[in-house]
Amino acid sequence: MRLLENKRCCISPEHVRNFKLPLGYADKGILSCKKMKPSVKISILVAWLMGLVGLFIGLYMYNLEAEDLQKEKPEFVITAAGLQKAFEDNEAAANTKYSDKIIEVSGIIESVKPGEDEAVSITLKTESPLSAVICTFQSGTAPAVFKIGDQITVRGKYSGFLMDILLNNCVVVK
Amino acid sequence: MKRLAIFIVLGILCFNANAQKYMTKSGYIGFFSHTPLEDIKADNNQVASVLDASSGELVFQVLIKSFHFTKALMETHFNESFLESEKYPKATFTGKITNIPEVKLSEKGTYDATVEGDLTIHNVTRKLSAKGTVEVLQDGINANSKFTLQPEDFNITIPAVVRNNIAKTIEVTVIMKYAAVGK
Repeated sequence: MRLLENKRCCISPEHVRNFKLPLGYADKGILSCKKMKPSVKISILVAWLMGLVGLFIGLYMYNLEAEDLQKEKPEFVITAAGLQKAFEDNEAAANTKYSDKIIEVSGIIESVKPGEDEAVSITLKTESPLSAVICTFQSGTAPAVFKIGDQITVRGKYSGFLMDILLNNCVVVK
Repeated sequence: MKRLAIFIVLGILCFNANAQKYMTKSGYIGFFSHTPLEDIKADNNQVASVLDASSGELVFQVLIKSFHFTKALMETHFNESFLESEKYPKATFTGKITNIPEVKLSEKGTYDATVEGDLTIHNVTRKLSAKGTVEVLQDGINANSKFTLQPEDFNITIPAVVRNNIAKTIEVTVIMKYAAVGK
């Protein structure tokens, strides 16, 4: 047991005594049973902890799934018609304003598309016949929730503008 | 004179019937990268595309930010470092079905099609030729295609840390369900 404890030392006076080593060992200065300095010990421990924490943060970040907008607060609350109007008036300004923002949009469902990979998309009516708000829901949202003509409020992240205002990762609010 | 007017109107109507356009705003484009370390998949259900049935011309527009990954970090890397979606928000393709005599877009049936055109991703334009199937239905056209792309070709540099996690060749799947415009 003692031997284990002293593993870090070279040869201690106890070794010399217990194992009947030639006394010369002690004379030759090999007898350097220095204990590790507490500061060194602490820094090794801290380094280990930091490594572990880093590893966990890394794993956590890596496995992080797309954010659930049900838990997030919207940065803008607007009607589908109002949103479309903003883009019609000044597309560039609206695009900058809403870039990567979470928007809560209310409107009337114009169409429902099941989409590949169970990612349902709905189109919300606007006053323009050419441009609408398209919301694509998180996969696993049942298409049966949506009925054409119903009033709905959804929350989604603004992805950009093609012909329509595109929202992604949507959830139903009301 | 009246007769001439009728002919013109009929002529325009016929021309319009021939120049039937098909459109979708919710087409699907997905890609898949396979390496021994990891499989990565991204889906986009917000692809806008127009198909001109008379000429076989095709246009696709897609927002980079509309690609959805299972892991949030992949989506961040994809947007911020690989595709730089703030600077280059869209990818586009303009092309044509080259074997249009065989692909009868006005007759119901399933056809093998070849599409050639220019694909622009990350502000780099490359020629693309892809094979696919076209299914002409009563009230629309379904078109599917699968092809491969190399990120390198589009000046997309992948940092050394994740280089082994991302395939050199990415498989792209396109599934379009076009509806006739103005019908």
